[in-house]
Amino acid sequence: MIEICSLSYNINRNIILEDINLTLTDGEFAALIGPNGAGKSTLIKLILGFLPLQTGAIYIEGIPHLEWLKEHSIGYLPQHEEFNRNFPTTAMEIVLMGLVRELHPGSRFKSIHRQRAMQALALTGIAHLANHQLGSLSGGELQRVFLARALVSDSKYLILDEPEASLDQPGVKSLFILLKDLNKAGKTILTISHDLNILSEYCSFLICLNRRLHCHTSAELVNAEIIHKTFGDTVRLIEKDY
Amino acid sequence: MYNFIYQAILAALLSSFSLALFSPLVTLRQVSYMGEALSHIAFAGIALALLLELNLQLTTLIFVVIVALAISWLSQKHKLQEANTITIFLSVSMALGIILISLKKGYSFDLESYLFGNVLLVSPAEIYQLVILALLDIFFISFFYKELFYLSYNAEMAKFYRLPVGLVNTIFMILLAANIVITLRAAGIILVSAQLILPAVTSFNLVKRLDYAILCSALIAILAASGGFALSWWLDIPTGANIVLLEFVLYLISLMFRRRQKIA
Repeated sequence: MIEICSLSYNINRNIILEDINLTLTDGEFAALIGPNGAGKSTLIKLILGFLPLQTGAIYIEGIPHLEWLKEHSIGYLPQHEEFNRNFPTTAMEIVLMGLVRELHPGSRFKSIHRQRAMQALALTGIAHLANHQLGSLSGGELQRVFLARALVSDSKYLILDEPEASLDQPGVKSLFILLKDLNKAGKTILTISHDLNILSEYCSFLICLNRRLHCHTSAELVNAEIIHKTFGDTVRLIEKDY
Repeated sequence: MYNFIYQAILAALLSSFSLALFSPLVTLRQVSYMGEALSHIAFAGIALALLLELNLQLTTLIFVVIVALAISWLSQKHKLQEANTITIFLSVSMALGIILISLKKGYSFDLESYLFGNVLLVSPAEIYQLVILALLDIFFISFFYKELFYLSYNAEMAKFYRLPVGLVNTIFMILLAANIVITLRAAGIILVSAQLILPAVTSFNLVKRLDYAILCSALIAILAASGGFALSWWLDIPTGANIVLLEFVLYLISLMFRRRQKIA
């Protein structure tokens, strides 16, 4: 369980997040939605410990999150990972990065680690690319490599920042089918996304954020009024019968 | 006579070898400009040691290490662009060096040998320092290979995965500074940065793995140092410049292999 209590965050006196109170229960598949600049990425960076807390607290399994993170890992798929496309590394080596905290400084990966990395790559459907150079992969393939890295440590929690970026429509669908399967297998998932159609189909819980928390409720209960409250008048909802 | 020659060969081989070991890491971490800056910053350290009549190498080493760590710290803590911070320190250090040298009136100092390097001037004590440096480089790179690999790939993600980024980065900066200062006498302030870049860019044209690139860089350096020394012996021209030119020739040859690989 992840609990966020009275969390506020500002940068140069600009309020990014204001008084956020939120509980993410175990086994939830939650989606964080909101317009650009709503503070979604900031919120997950605070949970992951990338940014220091200013006001409020975050607890994971009842323990202050930074303490918890010292002993445990959270699977994380960043929105955009900066790397040199000429960097001499393979998909396998990047997935192994997800296991480095299990090794002492100076020790090397063993065959068991490589087997686990291969399983994670197989799970995301790109086992055949294990020994390909990272720089030679397409955007969608890269996204799957980074997802495999997030999954390899078999963490209880998985946090994704716009995982559908760089994926085509069938790719997005197969990604969310995989996420749903992982969720059914017991993983607690928090994802940022802009694709409301796909979220309403796969997620159980929607968190509407625009600096303040507008709602956190079951996905089925989210209606046009809540969406307008979160996004303002910048969105128009079109109901489609698929 | 023969001892003197062996000493010079060893100085050329060891200094090129040590710089080449660091070369792929410096290139991948995109701190090759830092390597060049530190070699120029060393000039102020040398001038300071001369003015205060302190141990030249130790003073320069301490000075360069402090500046290297300051650049790293300022870039991280104050979010300054690393290139800007390096440029500021490089220019200030050069200015400081010129002022300090001018203050030491009536002192004749062979600045040329530090600017361009001269393996013939390397003392037996400096050979021992080069051996220790090479061993330290080998130990550091083999022990922290995994950490260096992921730190070079993406420092922020390496930190997220709980790698000791701060510790490894600090040791890296200290050893980079030590490599530059200790190889200065053999490689020269002007030419040391070329030996920090050329072996790596050549290796990455030939191999696609970091560990292979480190080995390949070391081999390139040994080849260039041996050839460079032989040429300087026969033609009576400076060894440091020969080594850099040979490394450049090897780089040009590697470009052809790179093209062939792409066609294949």
